[in-house]
Amino acid sequence: MVRIGMASCGIASGAVPVYEELRSILAGESSVEVKRVGCVGLCFREPLVEVDMDGVRTIYGDVTPEFAAQIARSLLKGELPESHIVYSDKAEAPENAVLDGQMRVVLKNSGIIDPEDMGDYVARGGYKAAKRAISEMQPEKIIETIEESGLRGRGGGGFPTGRKWRACREAEGDIKYVIANGDEGDPGAFMDRSLMEGDPHSVVEGMIIGAYAVGAGRGFIYVRNEYPLAVKRLSKAIEDARRAGFLGRRIFGSGFSFDIEICRGGGAFVCGESSALMRSIEGLPGVPRVKYIHATEKGLWDSPTVLNNVETWANVPTIIEKGPEWFRSIGTEGSPGTKVFSLVGKVKKSGLIEVPMGMTLKSVIFSLGGGILKDRTFKAVQTGGPSGGCLPASLLDLPVDFDTLSSAGSMMGSGGMIVMDERTCMVDVARYFIDFLSDESCGKCVPCREGLRAIQKVLHDLTGGRGRKGDDELLKDMAERLAETALCGLGKTAANPVLSTLRYFPEEYAEHEDGYCRAGVCRGLFVASIDEGLCVGCGSCKALCPAGAISGRQKEVHRIKASACIGCGSCLDACPVGAISAARRDAP
Amino acid sequence: MIELSIDGKRVMAEEGATVLEAARAAGIGIPTLCYHPGLPPDGNCRLCLVEIERKGKRELVISCMYGAREGLVVHTRSSRIWKARSFVLKMLLERTPDDPLLKRMASHYGVAFEERFHVESDPCIRCGLCVRACEENGTEAIGFAKRGWEREVSAPFEEPPRDCTGCKACAVVCPTGCIDVEEEGDVRRIWGKDFRLVRCALCGERFATEEELAHMGLEGDEAKYCQRCRKMLFSARFLVGL
Repeated sequence: MVRIGMASCGIASGAVPVYEELRSILAGESSVEVKRVGCVGLCFREPLVEVDMDGVRTIYGDVTPEFAAQIARSLLKGELPESHIVYSDKAEAPENAVLDGQMRVVLKNSGIIDPEDMGDYVARGGYKAAKRAISEMQPEKIIETIEESGLRGRGGGGFPTGRKWRACREAEGDIKYVIANGDEGDPGAFMDRSLMEGDPHSVVEGMIIGAYAVGAGRGFIYVRNEYPLAVKRLSKAIEDARRAGFLGRRIFGSGFSFDIEICRGGGAFVCGESSALMRSIEGLPGVPRVKYIHATEKGLWDSPTVLNNVETWANVPTIIEKGPEWFRSIGTEGSPGTKVFSLVGKVKKSGLIEVPMGMTLKSVIFSLGGGILKDRTFKAVQTGGPSGGCLPASLLDLPVDFDTLSSAGSMMGSGGMIVMDERTCMVDVARYFIDFLSDESCGKCVPCREGLRAIQKVLHDLTGGRGRKGDDELLKDMAERLAETALCGLGKTAANPVLSTLRYFPEEYAEHEDGYCRAGVCRGLFVASIDEGLCVGCGSCKALCPAGAISGRQKEVHRIKASACIGCGSCLDACPVGAISAARRDAP
Repeated sequence: MIELSIDGKRVMAEEGATVLEAARAAGIGIPTLCYHPGLPPDGNCRLCLVEIERKGKRELVISCMYGAREGLVVHTRSSRIWKARSFVLKMLLERTPDDPLLKRMASHYGVAFEERFHVESDPCIRCGLCVRACEENGTEAIGFAKRGWEREVSAPFEEPPRDCTGCKACAVVCPTGCIDVEEEGDVRRIWGKDFRLVRCALCGERFATEEELAHMGLEGDEAKYCQRCRKMLFSARFLVGL
């Protein structure tokens, strides 16, 4: 069997011509099946082609249509090409550690099955858990199982899922709803998209079980509208499940009826906030509401509602199938199970990974992620999306779970992980995220609407060389007040990028107040300086310098005229040996 | 009736009352901007923040929406509340520096305008009372448009609103008086639209617009006389037994 990774990431890297090439050569070959599958996670080597020979997997990376033809022709001869191998079950391959170092529970089918073929999902044990739950288990027993498993919300909050379900089950009302949140909006995050594109039935099956447990008759999957492929595959999954009698009236021949609709997102980051999401489904603008009454009592259309992230739902069938003890045996005491992360930024092997909770940041970034690009120095990792926080190198041994991340001033969030190196300015990072959050604020409450704007102003002053003494204190004060006074979760956590960078990188704020950016990012806040002992005289810097401030002959040490340097940072990126650094403007 | 404690004082409140209602009924002042007793609360101005005791901790909640419960312990004065309200007022003042009400509140909390954060002056504080008033009237002629910093009250497509009846409830509830209403002769101009005012057949006061009466489905005496005259006429008829 041949599998081609055709999630959005694969398609964007050119998987379609690869697939067509393979198909055209292998068409009519009954011995070789060509399958379009979801993301296997090695995004940095896409397009990927996997050859499965009697259960032995070989994955080829960076596959061009020409190489795809070579794979196809080799297969017809019963052979395997020897180049381009990134992963192999039986031989050494460069990315073996990346896949073998993971534990795939939620993503167990992603990259293996054809997401548009329900038969594939069923063949791998799909819908068995739902059938068992509905025909053999009492709703109460299902809720107990989920409670015992210790499953916590994967959307970021980490609220115990079982407790949420119980509250909804016990709430008064004939009409109840379940909702899957697939409105992933964090910059650099693509966990939910990959899951919905790679294994849509797992979400549907989880929702069937949950709906039966809480007594809901209708469910919604709220998908970000910018994820058309996820919408298409989920729609297909729902249609197929309906046709097979897994959705609709009297599921599996029982007395339980349940159906799911897809609701496409309102195009705003805030629509991922639970109360805003429900308003959006109701057809109103996605604006959060004060939540002194929980959604499990008064949610969608004021009926009891369970809202879980798509990853949470996808965990449910496996827990029912393998039991809560099995689930508890993975991960940590307080955060059992696995977590899917999208590892991006200045890391060598960016991609989609799933690891047991409690793995250290170091293992994630250095063992699975392969370390920092260009072998630069690690500076920080941002977890939890724009409203998460930046953690420094001293916390690399921190185990990744809900509680340790929040006590360190960051959060799990939905699982985005952005790695930053020494060439990243932490004040600029805070500015970037506050710009994003200020743009995405719904504008309902004063602290978020006006307060973020004021914080943004100070950050722009700092990165623009207009910083003032005491701005760090001012920012801290405003950010703390914002966290206390904002209306919704988004506003309350919007201060995190500022607070966490202030906490772990106070020196950079102090330097910006003096007009110095050590990372060489903030324009004009530094002068480039060449370490003459390291310079190899290649001339790369000179060729790029827009101000003509660099002089020197080929193979000779180059020099920078400080008074002419405009502090743009082009040369810092250009130098192949890392001989150029950002120095203070007033330095000799 | 339920009993709760506010600032150490025992306060009785009706079942279903909010902390704000309970406090105000007991004569304890809590500042608000987006609250109006006749409209559903929205909780957007954050000025009515108070502290409640829960699980041994003090938690900030907004009193206009937090339900009063038996035995609830509430504090309306603390340095934390003071700081929170000061922050909110300061942020509002940066955009609406000339409003007398805001200026008064800000000076009470020792908050001063600072040029650094000032971008533009806008009399609207986006409390949404006008939008809620319009909703409660069943007209829904105006609403919020755009988001974030640009969020603003607007009629659909920024055109004179089709559904507006010219009742000016929006202008009446506005705490900063930023909705323009002009009246000249029998014409009222609001939201860029002209409405014909109806005069009371008895006292001659202009008591409603034609559209307003039609929207409410009023006819006969109700559409002819103002409320005061109608009352008077009714009692007169009642007294003479007509």
